Amino acid sequence: MDVIISLLQQMSVYLVIAYLFSKTPLLKSLFTVSMRLPPKAVIYVVFSGFCILGTYFGLNMLDAIANTRAIGAVLGGMLGGPVVGFLIGLTGGLHRYTLGGFTDLACALSTTAEGLLGGLVCLYLVRRGKADLLFNPSTVFTVTLIAECLQMAIILAVAQPFERALSLVEVIAAPMILANSMGAALFMSMIRDQRNMFEKYSQISAAKTLRIAESAVGITLEGLTQETAERIARIVYEETGVGAVAMTDREKILAFVGIGADHHTPGATLMSEHSRRAIETGEVVFADGVELPYSCSLSKNCKLGSSLVVPIRADNEVIGTLKLYEPKHKLFLSINRALGEGIANLLSNQILAGRYDQQKHLLVQSELKLLQAQINPHFLFNALNTISAIIRTNPNQARELLVHLSNFFRKNLKRGSDMTTLREELDHVNSFLRIQKARFEDRMHVDIDIDPGLLEVRIPTFTLQPIVENAIQHGISNVLDEGRIAIRAETGPDGIYLLVEDNAGSYSDTGRSAGGLGMGIVDKRIKNLYGETFGITVDCREGEWTRIWIKLPQEEMAA
Amino acid sequence: MIRALIVDDELYAREEIALLAAGHDDVEIVGSCSNAVEALKGINREKPDVVFLDIQMPRISGIELIGMLDPEQMPRIVFVTAFDEYAVAAFEENAFDYLLKPVERQRFDKTLARIRKANGAPQSLKGLEIPELTQIPCFTGNRIRLVRLGDVEYVYSDISGVHVVTAEGDSSTDMTLKVLEEKTDLIQCHRQYLVRLDRVREIKLLDNGLAEIVTVSGRTVPVSRRNLRDLKERFGLG
Repeated sequence: MDVIISLLQQMSVYLVIAYLFSKTPLLKSLFTVSMRLPPKAVIYVVFSGFCILGTYFGLNMLDAIANTRAIGAVLGGMLGGPVVGFLIGLTGGLHRYTLGGFTDLACALSTTAEGLLGGLVCLYLVRRGKADLLFNPSTVFTVTLIAECLQMAIILAVAQPFERALSLVEVIAAPMILANSMGAALFMSMIRDQRNMFEKYSQISAAKTLRIAESAVGITLEGLTQETAERIARIVYEETGVGAVAMTDREKILAFVGIGADHHTPGATLMSEHSRRAIETGEVVFADGVELPYSCSLSKNCKLGSSLVVPIRADNEVIGTLKLYEPKHKLFLSINRALGEGIANLLSNQILAGRYDQQKHLLVQSELKLLQAQINPHFLFNALNTISAIIRTNPNQARELLVHLSNFFRKNLKRGSDMTTLREELDHVNSFLRIQKARFEDRMHVDIDIDPGLLEVRIPTFTLQPIVENAIQHGISNVLDEGRIAIRAETGPDGIYLLVEDNAGSYSDTGRSAGGLGMGIVDKRIKNLYGETFGITVDCREGEWTRIWIKLPQEEMAA
Repeated sequence: MIRALIVDDELYAREEIALLAAGHDDVEIVGSCSNAVEALKGINREKPDVVFLDIQMPRISGIELIGMLDPEQMPRIVFVTAFDEYAVAAFEENAFDYLLKPVERQRFDKTLARIRKANGAPQSLKGLEIPELTQIPCFTGNRIRLVRLGDVEYVYSDISGVHVVTAEGDSSTDMTLKVLEEKTDLIQCHRQYLVRLDRVREIKLLDNGLAEIVTVSGRTVPVSRRNLRDLKERFGLG
């Protein structure tokens, strides 16, 4: 009984130390079952330490030591694999051997065997794809239990004389098996708790990805340029905290931020074979610095020791890469690896979306030009006919109309930009209407009512004019008696509304014909710029009126 | 004296023709109309020798208007157009008179010379593709109304003119019964009545070989002895 209590006390002290250890950054290297060297070295040192510690805390009895050495050996093996486990066991065993006693050789052998056993379990579970079981305390409990039974067997087999060994085992077997198994299980549960906490950090990294995505929106719409690459690299660098971040196109470095920025200069040709492989195959290339060595192709003194190259795709072709680096002394966390791949995918999608938007935009632009080219000759023709008809009877009015015509076309020409103010658009429409009004002199009435506060609102060019033109072409010119056209602008609860109303009410007849095309383009442009909730709605009461509402966002108000 | 009527929906275009005509002593402008419905009325009333007819007009085009006129009282038509390429090609092919806007004085004078030379001889408008009549221009009081052919129950004439009856009521039109019978699917049931067969609810046979049609909206239309047989045949009663 004393032995049990004593061993449990030992185990408690041991666990306190284990707990303190679990608070150090060293523990991170235990989170993944990795075959890479740096964490293995850490595991070796740490768990050999625990092995020796277990021996020192041991209880001298019957010329032997009742101890918790097995915890270090088994756990070390389970976390570090067979080789590391064996070495830990050997180290702990040799240390025990130097302390002497009739079980020295037996203990040395059994500790080595325990380390190896832990390592083999690790190897087995990893190969079976069940690495997660390694972190399960009950697995650890079972493995340690078996390991301790093994140790007892070895003592019985090796230690001489057998009678002493037997009487020793009779006393220490139960307490040691129990204490070591429980200790190892508790130790592992500490590691697991820390690991879970770390997982939470990973979720925070997911949030980081989103933040990166958000801040990169818009940047990538312009495509991959040195400038956008620089901005993205900086965002990724700041959010992930990796050693360095680079972005490349297919040939050269576009941006480099972080450690090594002194010799990884933007504009430099891509030298690294990893990058080239990523670009050629379209696959992620991860050089962890151990199995796949990373060595900077630019400078021998480069502090970077591992790299992740993620290709960025657009339309099935690789257009560049995102590269994440860690310095030699730092571990490339698999979380950052996942993060890097995620970010690169996001960028791919965005660049694709950007291209699509751009093409859509170009299409709309050219459609608009086409429309102008189609309609203006008719308008010009009618205008000239009207002027020609009145030039004899009313030269002054004819001159006035020519001024309006000239004004209309001057503004048409000047409208290179995408945006204009409502005031300017109305001015343009007004010139247009003056000429049309002259044409339909005795049977057209125009009524414009605009909230003066809205005159400086920014709207896309040619938002109003095609709609007004449509109202005349398909509205007024189809009315047998007086045609009325009203233009209004007002602020609604969710945007600004421009209204063009005519009294023909013939939208349903003609809406899908040529007039509908101009309207369609205006609508498409507004939706492209501001989203689906904006654009044109048509309300028509046949034979009475057609109301075309143009909804625009309010944020576009000029300061 | 050449009596001319101008039809154009643009005021200044009408003024321009009038101004050009003013240079000729033998031309008298008897009317100026801004749409086809007014023009129909004007032509029937004034019986002009020449109509200067714009093609692009609201609701009823100049060409459609021609389809509404009585071919036997057809005035000489001078088409006026701004840019109907297709129409111009047809005019050219059929040697119709036409003027292009803006109208040149020389061209106008030449057209007048042709008209004088023809000296009232009827012009052939064969080759003109007149679209099918789908609506009848009407007046209800002073308001112009275009009645869809499908809505018409029957049409009749009396001293005051031709009347178009729909389920909603009567309106008068300047089209003649003869043209309506020729250009539409209305069937003559009486010397002064045309009826739409699909608006007939029943035919009541009366004594002395006469009959009465009751329309879908419950109005009665007389059937003459002469037309009854034909009507019966159409209903498969012959």
